Amino acid sequence: MVESIIETNGLTRSYGDICALKPLDLQVPEGEWLSVMGHSGSGKSTLMNLVGGLDRPTAGSLRVGGEDLLALSEDGLARFRREFVGIIFQQHHMVPYLTAVENVMLAQYFHSVPDEAEARSALERVGLGHRLKNRPGELSGGEQQRVCIARAIINSPKLLLGDEPTGNLDHKSTVMVMELLKELRAEERFTVIMVTHNQDVAAWGDRTIYLDDGVLVREERMKS
Amino acid sequence: MLFRIIKNSFLKRPKAVLLVFLSIAMGAAVATAFLGIAGEISHKMALELRSYGANILLEPSAAQGGGFLREDDLPKIKTVFWKYNITGFTPYLFGVADISAGGKKERGVISGTWFAKQLEVPGEDSSVQGIKGIAPWWDVQGRWPEDADEAIVGATMAKRLGVVAGKELDATVGGRTRRFHVVGVVTTGGYEEEQLFAPLITVQSLLQRQGKVSRVLVSALTVPMDDFGKKDPASMTKEEYEKWYCTAYVTSVAKNVEEVMAGSRAKPIWQIASAEGSLLKKLNSVMLFLTVLALVSSATAVSTSLMASMSERSPEIALMKAVGADRLQISAIFVGETLIISIAGGVVGYLLGNQLAGIISRTVFNSTIASPLWLFPTAIISAFVVAIAGSVVPLRRALLIEPVRVLKG
Ligand SMILES: Nc1ncnc2c1ncn2[C@@H]1O[C@H](COP(=O)(O)OP(=O)(O)OP(=O)(O)O)[C@@H](O)[C@H]1O
Ligand SMILES: [Mg+2]
Repeated sequence: MVESIIETNGLTRSYGDICALKPLDLQVPEGEWLSVMGHSGSGKSTLMNLVGGLDRPTAGSLRVGGEDLLALSEDGLARFRREFVGIIFQQHHMVPYLTAVENVMLAQYFHSVPDEAEARSALERVGLGHRLKNRPGELSGGEQQRVCIARAIINSPKLLLGDEPTGNLDHKSTVMVMELLKELRAEERFTVIMVTHNQDVAAWGDRTIYLDDGVLVREERMKS
Repeated sequence: MLFRIIKNSFLKRPKAVLLVFLSIAMGAAVATAFLGIAGEISHKMALELRSYGANILLEPSAAQGGGFLREDDLPKIKTVFWKYNITGFTPYLFGVADISAGGKKERGVISGTWFAKQLEVPGEDSSVQGIKGIAPWWDVQGRWPEDADEAIVGATMAKRLGVVAGKELDATVGGRTRRFHVVGVVTTGGYEEEQLFAPLITVQSLLQRQGKVSRVLVSALTVPMDDFGKKDPASMTKEEYEKWYCTAYVTSVAKNVEEVMAGSRAKPIWQIASAEGSLLKKLNSVMLFLTVLALVSSATAVSTSLMASMSERSPEIALMKAVGADRLQISAIFVGETLIISIAGGVVGYLLGNQLAGIISRTVFNSTIASPLWLFPTAIISAFVVAIAGSVVPLRRALLIEPVRVLKG
């Protein structure tokens, strides 16, 4: 019996009249790799942002890692994000004036203390040991995404969130990133939630849920 | 790490940093220049002010009991030790007369005086002495008297009697009546507006006080009183007295004049000095106000340019927040940036402001100034104040950025 790292009850998020996420009950066991699929506007990012402590629900309850996110203040949510979550976005969001290694160190700095050696070895792990001093403008899309992965895992998060992390990548880079994530998860044993439009990418997970217009309409367990 | 972030952020956007730097430097420069010359201005203005208006009053001494000074002694004032410091003087003879004009009548003061009298003193340069010279603020509607039977009337008295320039009035003393042509109405802002002013010689004959004078007002260039100047000359040693006598204190010039006017006692007019003091105080508050205004406008400029770069930087701020930066950590980066710029801006502003103060003091006052020591910390502090005041709004904006909205995937 594995404990749930995420537990939602009637989790709802609406923007005025638009209900982006209809009351949702979802359990994610610790260590699971969950893929989230659905057409555009179905509420995938909304769900990710709520779970990652970047947004607040309109109604319902939301516990992540035993923490009641609704009870946290703004700074409390910031602490939750830096201690518990690693986030990878679709756009390669790096601070433009910092080098690869400095972008990784930034996450360490907000978390506790920057450690350049550790940041460097994290980049080596994602295969970027030779691009440490390059700024985002000098890196390819796949390379930038790997910097983001290094930054996301540097503080050993319990939960890794990816909102279409491979959305902008070609097939080869996508496979590279997914393999990297799989390897890292095997070592670090974090839980993964990944939004994707790509069936093949979803297939890397243990389970896939399908959202439609803010409602969980279907879920599918992967074999092997 | 904070410094690494700030350093790289600076290198990435040199123009935005330059803009903020310039705004802060300008503010600090203006503050430095204004505060730097404020002291100098006070000093120079004090000297300038002393050349206007009388600051020494000569009266008959009570001990002698004569009640009057002698008009014949007046030219001697141009021969005293401090003669070159005496910029002007004028005698007065006061009397009470029945003054009537156009059917209206009242009791009032008639003053005999010099308006602009050509004074020839043997062995000295000829000069023009009189009210015109020592009271340049007197505002005469009409013209100054030139003939013996011409007079000017104080504005208040003129109003009551209904006289204007061109009218005539009679002054009666002890049964003797003299008719004057009113050639002007004078506004002074003081008690003089209640009086009638006529040439000294005419008033002397009307009052039957030939050759006599009630008081003399002397305007002298003096140095500000210091602790030594305030000492009582009577208790000084010979050397001290000599030093005192040879320093142009208002008291020593007064003493000097007193010596040549038989039966006189000279008093410094302290009201003039204290009025000057309050004027200087006002001047200082104007300078302070302008300084604050300059700082406010440069803080506004800082705020505007930070605001502009803030919208450009919102993705990076959103990213930092998403990665887990709390408000304090975000603030540290932006406040750190502006503080570093403000130190540089303060130093450059100080150097510029010092130059500016030098230029102002050369062109306006024809002198160089030594900048006081406290000016440097003041410049740095004003740069800090500008930086912090200018950061408040942009920082609030930064803290309100919602990562979810900016980082939409
Ligand atoms: N800030 C907002 N204000 C108003 N409506 C919003 C806001 N953010 C999202 N929505 C709406 O909520 C719904 C769900 O949006 P969401 O971003 O979760 O979709 P998504 O599944 O991630 O879509 P995509 O695959 O295109 O990224 C959409 O209809 C969207 O228009
Ligand atoms: Mg989305």
